[in-house]
Amino acid sequence: MEPLALFLAGLAVVLAVPVPMLLHEARFRARSPWAAMLLWQAIALAGGLSMVGAPMVYGLAPFGDALPEAINTAIRLTLSEDYPALGELEVHPWHIFALCLGLLLAGHLVLTVVRTYLRVLSARRRHRQLVSLLSTPLPASDGGSEATQVIEHETPLAYCLPGRTNARSVTVLSRGLLETLTEEELAAVVAHEKTHLRQRHHLLTMAFEAWYRALPWLPTTRHGREAVLEITEMLADDGALATHSREDLLRALAVSGEGSPDKDLKPTAEASLITGVRLQRLLVPKAPLGTSAIAGVVFCAAALLAVPTSLLLLI
Amino acid sequence: MASLGELERSVMTLLWDSTQALSANEVCEQLDEDLAVTTVLTVLARLEKKGMVHRERTSRPHRYSATASREEHTVEMLNEVLGTAPDREAVLAQFIGSVSEDEAAALRKILG
Repeated sequence: MEPLALFLAGLAVVLAVPVPMLLHEARFRARSPWAAMLLWQAIALAGGLSMVGAPMVYGLAPFGDALPEAINTAIRLTLSEDYPALGELEVHPWHIFALCLGLLLAGHLVLTVVRTYLRVLSARRRHRQLVSLLSTPLPASDGGSEATQVIEHETPLAYCLPGRTNARSVTVLSRGLLETLTEEELAAVVAHEKTHLRQRHHLLTMAFEAWYRALPWLPTTRHGREAVLEITEMLADDGALATHSREDLLRALAVSGEGSPDKDLKPTAEASLITGVRLQRLLVPKAPLGTSAIAGVVFCAAALLAVPTSLLLLI
Repeated sequence: MASLGELERSVMTLLWDSTQALSANEVCEQLDEDLAVTTVLTVLARLEKKGMVHRERTSRPHRYSATASREEHTVEMLNEVLGTAPDREAVLAQFIGSVSEDEAAALRKILG
């Protein structure tokens, strides 16, 4: 059991620091955003599993060679209050410490995920109430299942509010945006938001928000949250580009990124300021990853999930 | 018959536009629709629970007023999304303007 615990601890460290840093720098997300999304989700799951698994495996080592068997023995001996048998085991205080650490970590992760989920849900519910009281439906709605609402404010902005089902989701546009954009540009914005809703991006980002809140000091969670948010924007851009022109979307982005109109704009900058990968890929489209590269990414993601799971359950 | 959501909106509009607190009877009279006072009371109670309406309990009958102006509520709502509220949830809503101001300015220059 001890080599297994060491391996899992090593895996947890690798997945916590160097791997997310590398992936954060990798530019292939501009070519195939969903492949990068797959890797991030796999890294987070495998990282969490090995982080919790390593101390638990070490702590349960005195009870048996395989984890399922060790858990069984530990529970059986404890419940039957078989103190002589318990006394014969070579339990070091370190084992007890590791077991407590693993259990606490697992509890902390699960509780934070649940708490974040509930907090976000209640914030959304409250926000939806305000939207329904303060906005009016867009008359020329394109007939989709999701509602498009307009709020009276001069700041040009657009966002979407996911609901439990797509029918309860809302896309919100401001009066300022409606007055600034042409009809085509506006349609591109709405298509972008509807892609967020249709592909349920809020579920992908919610998981990483919870991770970040649970372990804010860890590079995985910090980079992961940023990266996943950026990737969902790229995916939504791609969704909009399926039916709308690149130029319309870019113009719409330029306007909605402008912020409040009463705020002074900083001196106009050159194109070199476009550092964001998301805008670069819109300005200079890149070919998606080749078949072999995609196969490699899918294989890596599958291996990341399979290795810690099978080690914990089978050995 | 209008839905509860629509009724809530028309009651709020009435309270926002009114200069003074109104009783349920007055709300009922000023609404165009033909409504029972009990329905208006239900709507007002729902709005009070949502924190949109303040009820003065010292007077009889109770009088209702909006807790904040329409503009204040709009700003509060936008702050939740734009991220100036201190306790905002980063993932509350997917917001298209995640382009920085500098980038937007550069973009406008490129597009001409």
